[in-house]
Amino acid sequence: MSLVHRVARGVAALVIFVAAGAFAQGQPPIRIGSTLALTGPLAATSLVHKVVGEIYVEQLNRRGGLLGRPVEWIVRDDQSKPDLARTLYEQLITVDKVDLLMGPYATGAILSAMGVAQRYNKVLVHHTFGIPAQAKYDMQFPAWSLGPTPEVSVPNTVFDALAASPAPPKTIAVVTSKFPSVHFMSLGARDVAKKRGLNEVLFLEWDFGNLDYGPIAARIKDANPDFLWVGAIGLEGNQLLEAMSKIGYTPKEHFYMYPAPGPMSKSALARNALSMTVFEEHPPFTSAPGAKEFIELYHARAAKAGIPDTAVEVQAAASYTAWQILEAGVRGAGSLDDKAIGAWLHTHPVDTIQGKLRFDGPHNYGDDLMRVKQVQDGHWVTVYPAAYAAPGATLRVQ
Amino acid sequence: MTLPSATLVAQSALSGLFIGGLYGLMGLGLGLSWGLLHVINLAHFALAFLAAYLCYQLASVGGMDPFATLALIVPLCFAFGVALQWLLSRFDLSPLNSLLATFGLTAIVEAGIQGVWTADFRKLETPYAALHWQVGTLYVPAAELVTLAAAVGLSFAVYAAMRFTDLGRALRALAEDAPIASAFGIDARRHALVLSGVCGALAGIAGVCLALSFTLTPSQMYAWIGVVFATVMLGGLGSPLGPLAAGIVIGVSEALTSAFVSPSWAPIVSFTLLIALLLARPGRA
Amino acid sequence: MGARVYVAIVVAALALAALPWLRLPAFYASLLYLVLHWAVLATSWNILSGYSGYISFGHGAFYGTGVYATAVLAGTFDVPFLWTLPVAALAAAILGLALGAVVFRVRSVRGEAFALVTLAVTFVVATIVANTPIDGGPGVYLSSVPVPSLAPTVPGTFYLLALALATASVLAARAIADAKLGLGLFAIHDDEDAAEVMGVPTYRYKLAAFGIGCALAGAAGGVHALFVSYVTTAGTFNVTLPLTVILMCVLGGTRHWAGPMIGAAVITLLLYATTAADHAIVGKALTGAILVAAVLFMPHGILGRRRDTPAMRVAGASNVAAPSPLAEPSFAAPSPRASGAPLLALRGVTKSFKGVRALDGVDLDVREGEIVGVIGPNGSGKSTLINVVSGHFAADGGRIQFRGDDIAHRTPHRIARAGIARTYQVPRPFAGLSVADNVTLPAMFGAAGLDRADATAAAQEWLAFTGLAARARLRPGALNLHETKFLELARALASAPRLLMLDEVLSGLAPPEIDGAVALIERIRAQGTTIVLVEHVMRVVTALSDRVIVLDQGRVLAQGPAAAVMARDDVARAYFGAAGA
Repeated sequence: MSLVHRVARGVAALVIFVAAGAFAQGQPPIRIGSTLALTGPLAATSLVHKVVGEIYVEQLNRRGGLLGRPVEWIVRDDQSKPDLARTLYEQLITVDKVDLLMGPYATGAILSAMGVAQRYNKVLVHHTFGIPAQAKYDMQFPAWSLGPTPEVSVPNTVFDALAASPAPPKTIAVVTSKFPSVHFMSLGARDVAKKRGLNEVLFLEWDFGNLDYGPIAARIKDANPDFLWVGAIGLEGNQLLEAMSKIGYTPKEHFYMYPAPGPMSKSALARNALSMTVFEEHPPFTSAPGAKEFIELYHARAAKAGIPDTAVEVQAAASYTAWQILEAGVRGAGSLDDKAIGAWLHTHPVDTIQGKLRFDGPHNYGDDLMRVKQVQDGHWVTVYPAAYAAPGATLRVQ
Repeated sequence: MTLPSATLVAQSALSGLFIGGLYGLMGLGLGLSWGLLHVINLAHFALAFLAAYLCYQLASVGGMDPFATLALIVPLCFAFGVALQWLLSRFDLSPLNSLLATFGLTAIVEAGIQGVWTADFRKLETPYAALHWQVGTLYVPAAELVTLAAAVGLSFAVYAAMRFTDLGRALRALAEDAPIASAFGIDARRHALVLSGVCGALAGIAGVCLALSFTLTPSQMYAWIGVVFATVMLGGLGSPLGPLAAGIVIGVSEALTSAFVSPSWAPIVSFTLLIALLLARPGRA
Repeated sequence: MGARVYVAIVVAALALAALPWLRLPAFYASLLYLVLHWAVLATSWNILSGYSGYISFGHGAFYGTGVYATAVLAGTFDVPFLWTLPVAALAAAILGLALGAVVFRVRSVRGEAFALVTLAVTFVVATIVANTPIDGGPGVYLSSVPVPSLAPTVPGTFYLLALALATASVLAARAIADAKLGLGLFAIHDDEDAAEVMGVPTYRYKLAAFGIGCALAGAAGGVHALFVSYVTTAGTFNVTLPLTVILMCVLGGTRHWAGPMIGAAVITLLLYATTAADHAIVGKALTGAILVAAVLFMPHGILGRRRDTPAMRVAGASNVAAPSPLAEPSFAAPSPRASGAPLLALRGVTKSFKGVRALDGVDLDVREGEIVGVIGPNGSGKSTLINVVSGHFAADGGRIQFRGDDIAHRTPHRIARAGIARTYQVPRPFAGLSVADNVTLPAMFGAAGLDRADATAAAQEWLAFTGLAARARLRPGALNLHETKFLELARALASAPRLLMLDEVLSGLAPPEIDGAVALIERIRAQGTTIVLVEHVMRVVTALSDRVIVLDQGRVLAQGPAAAVMARDDVARAYFGAAGA
């Protein structure tokens, strides 16, 4: 970076600082509290949420904060333990007395936080809660836009995409981890596949934490389905792909729910692998207001934080969306009153980088905005439905 | 329900054999230090993961051949083992206390790895990953075969060293009766340092094998503890060949359960088998 | 003095129970809940594993059984939450007792084998839960289960429940430590076989401790299921739970009833103190470093016993010399003088080890009041004889009658209670107990069957009798060989046996010490105790024995008065073997 650039940046930062100081004069900051699993087994994804939250709060303050007050984000590390998350949310509410809450990461912690929020009548916006039926609190608002019955709607989207492809599958194998948010989707996929007349040639479950994918791969190879549905959280998808490759098997068409996005798109074995998305770095998503700026900032910050894959995809986008929802709610209600924010969000759709989200359906879930994406040439690109597909991209088959 | 094909069963058993070899390799150093030094070294797992990350760093970023990284990693891990024993031997620790002290050490190493490489997934991409041979209808992947070969080779090397070298004989004498052995002029302290270094080096080699086949994330080190502990205790503490045999029994029995029934039932077979073996074995306390 | 501790615990618990009404932020109740929750888990683990040394890696299985009992009953079947807690405790206790009933019978499943079995059980239970309708994979939700209102706030309710359980756990831990059960468990920790031979019903004691510990862990699991409101197998059954619990106990001190509680408080608060997001990774490393330092510098824990202080060692050493018996113990066995009636009768007793016949059809009688010397070359079966009579090894065949009852298939502790005591050739004192407690134990568990107070008094007298009174507060490790041998004798005598079997009690002693020992044995007999004397020192055998039995290759070769037996050619041949032939 040239000296001129540096000086320019320094001046800009100073101006922002002074401006922030001016509008904040005498105004105590609005404090938003949340926990994230910064250490422990869930730490890989939580880091994404931390980077996004920092970016958003910074942007928010640059825009003048909320209700004319600066915003301060208090994050604590729940160490991937739901019981700790619960206690920390209680601390945030009853001791730190934060004004607003933001959700933690992963199903267990979100449920813990939801219970606390319910007891204190606080609004809870959360990023990635995948089991709508279990979100039983009236003032929780999901940023994960998969509709009230994703176990039906998501598989249908996938099978629609396949049906529209040059080689619609006739047989299906469903293999799935017993990780809760993945497992119920896989069971849903079985039902949907049956209703749509696909012939199930294999169904397998393994425990979360399984180390040997060899036998699973061998059974898939043995069954050789037209379409392989893999319910796999994080690394599991890659491990299964590697195990299949080691016995010389390449699945014909394969779908993963929810993969570790970076490692999968980078893996040569994942050619044509399918998954779900709410946001990718290509039009039409990038034309959403604020999306381009966010992508640029995220690339820089993620690299600085040491995240190997800096592309904005579902986790980062869902995180950003959650902040957008909270901001919209506060602005809409014109106050920090949780009841008012909740009431406003119930009745007003929010424009986010994923699209328009509404919270008037069952369990406050609105439309299923999940699209189908595919690994093509080392990148994830949306391929279905056509309106959201990357320019020129279509579903490829082997 | 139809019976699985012979190819499927054989391929699954092979997979179980490979993962069992890795269990054995991870367990080898752990069991030696437990049986001969009375140190239950939980940090063995942390060291293996540290070695795996180093291998990733040197090979992925530094462009070294993954096997060449051994030249750096093994001495480093040896030194780590020596330093650990040097520290622990200054205190009068029961085996249980050594477990807890090294548990603390594991947390430090885990935090260190996360500090340097973040908690995000890291995968070493090497040409070896795709390399495999076809034997009839069976596929034999290279990386796994190397791991198994390393496990078998090292287990037998340790076995031979224990039987046929002065160092090995001295170590066995020390483990059996330290005061008598010391009376015969065996330097217990020095030998313990060397053995701990060897265990560290074994962890390092296991780590490189991990990096060849697995995607890494710091907390994943805990996923191995349960099954490798089982391997070591079943195989016999301080036994050079026991962990390998026990690892293969566990790996193959789980793989066959996965092939015949379901992967989600796999642990019940191996662990029930393990309980049965323990209850049935006579007088080996 | 003992009662005061219980009162203090209850008063403290009642005082703490007022906390939810103090209008503090609810968070404090929640944080204290976590502390108390871990205190219950740690204390419940410690009752078996800390006291008896049976390190369990399976605490997650019992805790998890409680978690799922409550989760299924309250979450799926709408049973009121509080009613599920006794079920959670019971289910966990049943699992523990069933496991213990199998495992504790097998002598080889000790040490790391026990740790492995319990670890394996965790995986087995987890797999069953994950693959059956108990969970099936998706986890169990308790979000809609009503929380009973025991306190003004929900966290207050959980806090009170955990407080009640923690109080129960600590009271149980303390009561057990004070009771016979505790002393028995401590002895099992140091030397289980010796404890059994001294009358400790080791099987029942281990089972009782396991059952109590599992029940408490199960109840804690039940409460925690609702606290987290969403339970999964991966989150419930993992290796970190037992590791954390062990860490807490060792840090606090496993021999002390309050140790686990202290350890739980320290670790829980330490983990909580490192939740600031900006320093999460540094905090984790720091937690690890503190653990390492704590274990290295406090190996016995915060409340761990201190080593014997130099002052105590000097105090004991000033009074060594030869044993100087002070008084005739008043608790001596109430045996009559030599009556000639058969006390012990063996008929055709056999015992083999891996095909080698150690005892090959032994017939012998020991009459009330006599001293029988048993001699024979090495490997002739002398020690096996003692081991078989005391029940340490079961005889393969034949009958062993003691006072008319067949004891061949009785467990060692029942044989001890019937009135047989033994010493070990290589002394096996309980290293973790004081010299006084080493002697108190057989007085409580042996034939004497005294209560704690009487046993303590009796132990004092036997220590005086053997000249060890000044050593009472030391641990056996501080004694020399000669004193250790006498401790071995004092222990055997304290049980007030009808029959005392001495296994080479004189070996390794210097001649003046032997004379002292011979005098002691004379005085033991004078009190009416029948003695079987296995001995190598021939002049002692000759001096003491009314009768001598010669064993050779597991058979009785000769018996009769010492002089007559020793004169026989076949005895000489057996002794001097090839050299004499």
